[in-house]
Amino acid sequence: MTLAIALTVGALFTMGTFLLLRDDLVRVVWGVAIISQAANVYLIAMGGIEEGTFDLVPILAGHGHDAGGVETADPLVQALVLTAIVISFGMTAFALVLSYRAYEENGTMNVTEWAGGDQ
Amino acid sequence: MAPQGGVVVAAIALPFLGAALVPLLYRLFGRVGGRLDEEGVGYVGAGVALTSFALVVSQVGEAGVVSFSWIPSLDVALRLQVDGLAVLFALLASGIGVCIFTYAARYMHGKDNLGRFFGTLLAFMGSILGVAFAADLVVLFVFWELTSVCSFVLIGYYTDDDESRYSARMAMLVTVGGGLCLLVAVAMLAIGAEAAFGARTFDLAAMLAEPEAMRAALETKGLFLPAMGLLVVAAAAKSAQVPLHFWLPRAMVAPTPVSAFLHSATMVKVGVYVLGRTRPLFVGEEWTLLVATLGLVTMAVGALLAVLATDIKELLAYSTASHLGLMVAGFGLGSHYGAEAGAFHLFNHALFKAALFLVAGIVAHEVGTRDIDELGGLWRDLPVTALITGVTALSMAGIPPFGGFYSKEILFEATWEAAAHDGGATWLFPALAVFASIFTVVYSLRFLWLFVGDRPEGTTVAHRPSPLLVAPAALLAVLVAVTSVVPDLAIDAVVNDAAAATAVHDVEIHAALPTHVTPPVAMSAVAVGGGVAAFRVVEDVRTAIGRVHAGLHAVHPEAVYDRLLSVTETASASLGPLVHNGLVRTYVSWALIASSALALAGYASATVAIPSLSTEVPVTIVLVLGVAVLAAIATTRAEAHVTGVLTLGILGFMVAIFYILASGPDLALTQLIVETLVLLIFLLVIEQMPAFYGELDRRIAARDAVVSLFVGATATVTVLVAAPSADRPLSDTARYYVDSAVPEGGGANVVNVILTDFRALDTLGESIVIAVAALSVLVLLAMRGRGEVR
Repeated sequence: MTLAIALTVGALFTMGTFLLLRDDLVRVVWGVAIISQAANVYLIAMGGIEEGTFDLVPILAGHGHDAGGVETADPLVQALVLTAIVISFGMTAFALVLSYRAYEENGTMNVTEWAGGDQ
Repeated sequence: MAPQGGVVVAAIALPFLGAALVPLLYRLFGRVGGRLDEEGVGYVGAGVALTSFALVVSQVGEAGVVSFSWIPSLDVALRLQVDGLAVLFALLASGIGVCIFTYAARYMHGKDNLGRFFGTLLAFMGSILGVAFAADLVVLFVFWELTSVCSFVLIGYYTDDDESRYSARMAMLVTVGGGLCLLVAVAMLAIGAEAAFGARTFDLAAMLAEPEAMRAALETKGLFLPAMGLLVVAAAAKSAQVPLHFWLPRAMVAPTPVSAFLHSATMVKVGVYVLGRTRPLFVGEEWTLLVATLGLVTMAVGALLAVLATDIKELLAYSTASHLGLMVAGFGLGSHYGAEAGAFHLFNHALFKAALFLVAGIVAHEVGTRDIDELGGLWRDLPVTALITGVTALSMAGIPPFGGFYSKEILFEATWEAAAHDGGATWLFPALAVFASIFTVVYSLRFLWLFVGDRPEGTTVAHRPSPLLVAPAALLAVLVAVTSVVPDLAIDAVVNDAAAATAVHDVEIHAALPTHVTPPVAMSAVAVGGGVAAFRVVEDVRTAIGRVHAGLHAVHPEAVYDRLLSVTETASASLGPLVHNGLVRTYVSWALIASSALALAGYASATVAIPSLSTEVPVTIVLVLGVAVLAAIATTRAEAHVTGVLTLGILGFMVAIFYILASGPDLALTQLIVETLVLLIFLLVIEQMPAFYGELDRRIAARDAVVSLFVGATATVTVLVAAPSADRPLSDTARYYVDSAVPEGGGANVVNVILTDFRALDTLGESIVIAVAALSVLVLLAMRGRGEVR
């Protein structure tokens, strides 16, 4: 299981990095989005992934208990990732609009042309 | 009797409190106007210094350590040790502080930024008091660095002046560089303490209580010489020992009260003080060889340069370096005379040097020049100042029966004894000491001659100095005179205890005029006689020194410093464009490659092992993750923007399903909503943008692929080494949240309870981030519409 997640995270980071290195600003934003997804998957994996079952969902009422002592999936990483999803949404949205504005100002999407140089 | 912790803490904390309040008071006084505006905060500072002084006085004669817990896991604590040496240093810093503040209030009359000036001066004094009482290495280091930072601000008081900025930066670089050496030495001592006491500690008092055990532990670890060497380098940088002395004369660009404070009782004494403090740990043959040589060479070089100086403050600055050399040499010599010389001269030098700097300030203030050639015969116009100078300059020269004579005599005794004991090359010690003392007499007489003889033409004294300028200097001169007449008064009160704290032998300071001829007396006679004789031909002597000085131009430490600095500046100027060229790809490459390489290097050096992997992988998860990776690949290869956005959406939805499979329904819900929104926004935005896809150069693509694969591989390895084993129970934090969600949060959905109850403030912060992002988006879009164009 860990290996599968590790390979996925690695592949997503590879793709994300490759996109970050492009000249096309839209692709740079895609790269940021993919790396955010990869980071979230990585965070979840740190809680220790087991195959999901109804019993592992960290909602206590569903287990028929009201008090502690229950084995659930790690709620802490889930809370962290929930926050991270929302923040990366804000970031992606902002990056996109910033790109749009930058395009309006510069008349090009090519980040290399902004710097006034070639590759 | 045990010291009172509260009193010691108050003595240190009051100046810092004052430093925080003085800028506010300055503004308040500014509204009142008049003299309160121009001088008020200076007197407030003097009051604070006086209070600290009184608090320290109440601890005279006490001994012991008080401790307040700080970082228990490292055994770092706010440990304050009260003993003779600490009290002596604290008394000098706060007592001379009173004089300096009173003087500065008048001297800085009506200047700008007095709030900042006096605030920093107070913080500076507080830091010195902190160093004096610190009995914990970390506390010592913190206060040590604070003195460097404060002195930087004080030396750079004239922020518009290039020379002032240059000097401030030089002082900062040299003393903070020394501070870094101290930090490493501190770490080494802590390692030694761990070996010696079985537990890691930064408790300096405990180390000093068991010097033998510490020594043995450090030697076993092979850290004895490195720790000693680094400590000496740190002290040498702070206390302006050759070859790191060059910042000290430069520091005189500061306003005179700062120079007086910096050079007499505070900044430069910190290094000497720490040498004295740690002396019992290190004293031995190597210590003597290193420290005594360093001190005596500095004593000689400083004295020669002081003779060469043309500016009265420059003369005093070099003489400070020379006298610091004397103290360092004293602490460097192993005998009890060494400890006595160091501690007693610490006391004498603080008194006479502070007074002399104040005199230099008065002269510059009233005559308008500091050039020695343009000054002379000032006794007619400044009789009281002349008298003060007479007493203090003769003490500086070490002429009997003035105070400086006694401590210098003890140093002669110490060098003579070391030479008689060890023989051979150690005879250079007394020789160097006498050689340096001859020139000490010469420059002291040069300073005194400002007031003697006739006034050169063209020099006029504007007016009599204000009594408020003369009084602090006069007070110090009276103290010098008292020490000269009844040296036992000071010795019994505090100096003997101070020397005892630095010594490994019994200490009993005897200060009296000689009654019969002994080797040290003969040395003094040679020094004074030679000095007076040399002063008669002072111009020839100066020419000779000047010739040698000019001949050595290439190896002047200041020239070396300038060269190093310019090399650093050129290097950073050429490094800048390399890493900061405006291209996103450059930043991404540097950041990602560097952090990946560092992470891998970290794993390699820590030899982390990849935990055994469970082979069971549910097919569903493999499928979902596989589709996610394929979607990412498709995004990367997408030719049209729309394709990329849609495949990116597939990736997002696959991750949402993954969350479901990982038992996180809340995550899946959020992810679905967010993905839908992102998809919409992307589609809206790319509609407005041209379809620029960029020409994908094969060579560049290959290069980027290598970088990407490296980063991806690092990410894979990171997950593998960091992932917990499958059967690991919940972490304590997670367990706590699960167990207390219902009883304390009143909710069964643990994730929600964490977000909205236990960590509600974090969630509020997150909401604010989203709100700010939304506002920024609005502003970015709306402002353009309103015609804001570049």
